[in-house]
Amino acid sequence: MADFQTIGKSHIRVDALEKVTGKATYAGDVYLPGMLMCKLLTSTRSHARIKSIDTSAAEALPGVRCVITGNDYPDAWFGSGALKDRRVMARDEVFYIGEPVAAVAADDEMTALEAVELIKVEYVNIQNVVDPLEAISGRSVDVHPDLEDFEGFGFALGGNNCTMLDADRGDVEQGFKDSDVIVEETYHTQPISQGFLEPMACVADLEANGRLDIYASTQGPYQVRAQLASVLDMPIGNIKVTAMEMGGGFGGKLRLAFEAFPALLAIKTGKPVKLVNTREEAFTLNGPRLETNIYLKTGVTNDGNILAREAHSIFDVGAYLGAGPNAGVGHGLGAYSIPNFKLRSYGVYTNKIYVGSYRASGVADMTFATESHTDVIAHKLGMDPLDFRIKNALSEGDTAVNGSPIPKNGLMETILALKEKMGLPKKLPSTPKEGRGVGISVGEWRSGSGPSTAAISVNEDGTVSLLTGSVDISGSDTSLAQIAAEALGLRLDQVVVAKRNTDMAPFTGPSGGSRIVYSQGRAVQNAAEDAKSKLLDLAADRLGVPAEALECAGGAVYVQDNPPQSMDLGQLARMSLSSRGGPIIGAASLSSLPYAPVFNAQGAEVIVDRETGQVRVTRFVQAQDIGKAINPMGVEGQLEGGAVQGIGRALSEEILIDKKTGEVRNPSLATYLMPLSVDMPEIENILVEVPSADGPFGARAVAESPGFGPPAAIANAIFDAVGVRIKTLPLSAERVLAAIQGRTEDEYTVDAEELRKAESA
Amino acid sequence: MKKQLQITVNGEPRQALVEPYYSLLDTLRDELHLTGTKKGCDEGDCGACTVLLNGKPVCSCLVLAHSAHDAEVTTIEGLANGLELHPVQQAFVERGGLQCGFCTPGLILSTVGFLESGEEPTEENIKHALGGNLCRCTGYTKVIEAVVAASRWNRDSQGTE
Repeated sequence: MADFQTIGKSHIRVDALEKVTGKATYAGDVYLPGMLMCKLLTSTRSHARIKSIDTSAAEALPGVRCVITGNDYPDAWFGSGALKDRRVMARDEVFYIGEPVAAVAADDEMTALEAVELIKVEYVNIQNVVDPLEAISGRSVDVHPDLEDFEGFGFALGGNNCTMLDADRGDVEQGFKDSDVIVEETYHTQPISQGFLEPMACVADLEANGRLDIYASTQGPYQVRAQLASVLDMPIGNIKVTAMEMGGGFGGKLRLAFEAFPALLAIKTGKPVKLVNTREEAFTLNGPRLETNIYLKTGVTNDGNILAREAHSIFDVGAYLGAGPNAGVGHGLGAYSIPNFKLRSYGVYTNKIYVGSYRASGVADMTFATESHTDVIAHKLGMDPLDFRIKNALSEGDTAVNGSPIPKNGLMETILALKEKMGLPKKLPSTPKEGRGVGISVGEWRSGSGPSTAAISVNEDGTVSLLTGSVDISGSDTSLAQIAAEALGLRLDQVVVAKRNTDMAPFTGPSGGSRIVYSQGRAVQNAAEDAKSKLLDLAADRLGVPAEALECAGGAVYVQDNPPQSMDLGQLARMSLSSRGGPIIGAASLSSLPYAPVFNAQGAEVIVDRETGQVRVTRFVQAQDIGKAINPMGVEGQLEGGAVQGIGRALSEEILIDKKTGEVRNPSLATYLMPLSVDMPEIENILVEVPSADGPFGARAVAESPGFGPPAAIANAIFDAVGVRIKTLPLSAERVLAAIQGRTEDEYTVDAEELRKAESA
Repeated sequence: MKKQLQITVNGEPRQALVEPYYSLLDTLRDELHLTGTKKGCDEGDCGACTVLLNGKPVCSCLVLAHSAHDAEVTTIEGLANGLELHPVQQAFVERGGLQCGFCTPGLILSTVGFLESGEEPTEENIKHALGGNLCRCTGYTKVIEAVVAASRWNRDSQGTE
């Protein structure tokens, strides 16, 4: 293995000093002279036609500068998923409680709030539907009756089913016939919030030439720019988006959110306009995850070979299609080789807040179902759950659901590392009051790809400036700087990472899907190699030796056979200013990288109080194949944070939705229960390094996978502890106690037969 | 009606004309331009707005500005001495106790308040002291490590061991 100088060693984040001193500037920290404050009026109806909106009293209030409604926007549609099914602000109809209906810009926040109260909206109610299982049944009102006219519409069963995805292989019916044991179950997952600490914020300003200047809290500045251009009917070139420091996104800030409101108000008033969400709005305005119902049927032989799987996964997408349904097919098999399968996934409209993305949308839901199901099957066969997983694990040369061949990977290494660290199999001692148990789960993801670019310029003192358009949501700036430093033989502090906006940095995809270090990192490595080859060429010319005889390290280019014969990078950079090739810049661009899977094996030890149903996680261990840890401290941080989000999803987090109106009933951090330091065990990490073929220095994606496994690992541990199988999230004390006492609380059933019929009709 | 507020922030006497309903948090951010203190919920649930009020950590969103009249307030901007970080800041940097950074000022001030309280820095006490500070990124493992590291420096610098 190569001896690395900068990567593979823990480094302090390049943004750490800014963040611990309070100097880091988030969108809400932007204060511009003469800035107006924006507030929104949102729908109080679940599904209604807007008969009239009277803004006159609001407009007459002193201090109010402008009031806008949906009719002030061009007649344009956009989407947060595959379909263009949304308007940026409601026009004739509202589809959920909380949908923006009007916006006010005023001299101060109190005046804006007062003005919002003065806007009168007359609604005419329309029948609504809240339950996705009812919505897909064909026996409810259609949320969007003109679904098939939406741009991007592909295939669906119709009614409220807005998208249906499928994947088939082999002969699933024959597979079931050949099976000795068939297990058929439905799992249910709850609506949850990304829970970022920084509520969405945006400041919009107008430049003297009429260009829009947007300071945003976003993971995808180029996506915000494009969507803003389309809903405002403006050229992309007239919009500049600056991605400010971001206080957590986790997928919730990938796309256009509410930037169009301050933007239009800035255009109309000619003044800067600021909009900052309240915490309540962070729950009611910005798409969370909604419930899923997952039907699984699996056939196995008595000796533990999985022969067939049928899955029907129903994703509630709320009022507008968003991410999630892809996971129903992409992650319907888990980390296993199953020769015959039929996977179906459905997006279903309901009258509630539209679904947003969150840390590999839908995959944690699928993993809860498939990995709980895996344990159920193993127990039915009388096999150890870990051995059953090993027996069916994907291996190199198998074919992934998407048809790609499975390349070399660390799946087996992660499972075995977990086994060794936890000493599995083992039985933890229980008492009459407390049951103790251990459970495991395996998550799978792929290293994210997509358009990636980078540029590097060599400064006159031998430092380099790195320009990438990617937003740092995970510590990626530090990793990218390390990659550049490693490739150029520099120290980390010799790489300056530029603050950037969409005018300055070249286009890149959003920071999501664990793609930045893998894909953007590859672009950075390529850009550094490009700069290096120019440095070598220039040095070769000056030193009178061929470029192949030179190496670049320690801040200098030297002759490999005679190191004292060298030129430092600063010297070369200064010379380059008057050289034939001009100042040295390296650049790289790529559109995608090959499939590189990521596996994460997790284990939880729990104590279940038999009298209260309370579950405590006392130990949590995870092993993930990260290919190559660029910055081990950063990798651990991602793994720990992801696991704790998964533990929150498992045990306590739930957005409560009113069953009649679809309204969010607990929009506060006092009632939406995210993990606190007092609740959490120390997370133990094992970094498995099986290099990927194409990631920078062999790196794979890190951040998504650790969040997948905790719900199933904990559910499996609860089963081990007290013998009850809970198929609904969260695994709350009430639910666990009901199961221990033999009361069935909430059973969800997906009618697979009806879905089969609907498809063949 | 706006009223004159007199307050010492990070050792400097400051004046501001603020409405009676204004919180200390809004005053720090909107009037005194100290935006290092963050607004995560404005209802006392997240701890991102934690500052030291007469040496004790408080959620500045729950403190009316005028109730802090004549008080001494320390915000995240007041901890470092020029470029020299406070030991707690240094520990968070070195131990990777921060990611997105939004909860970080509050966590650091809760930690400073805790270590200055003289309470024994056991893991349980540390977790309890940070029980009012939500962090969504780190999973707390490295935050706790940072506080443990800072508590050692604190102890060593006070020469108690």
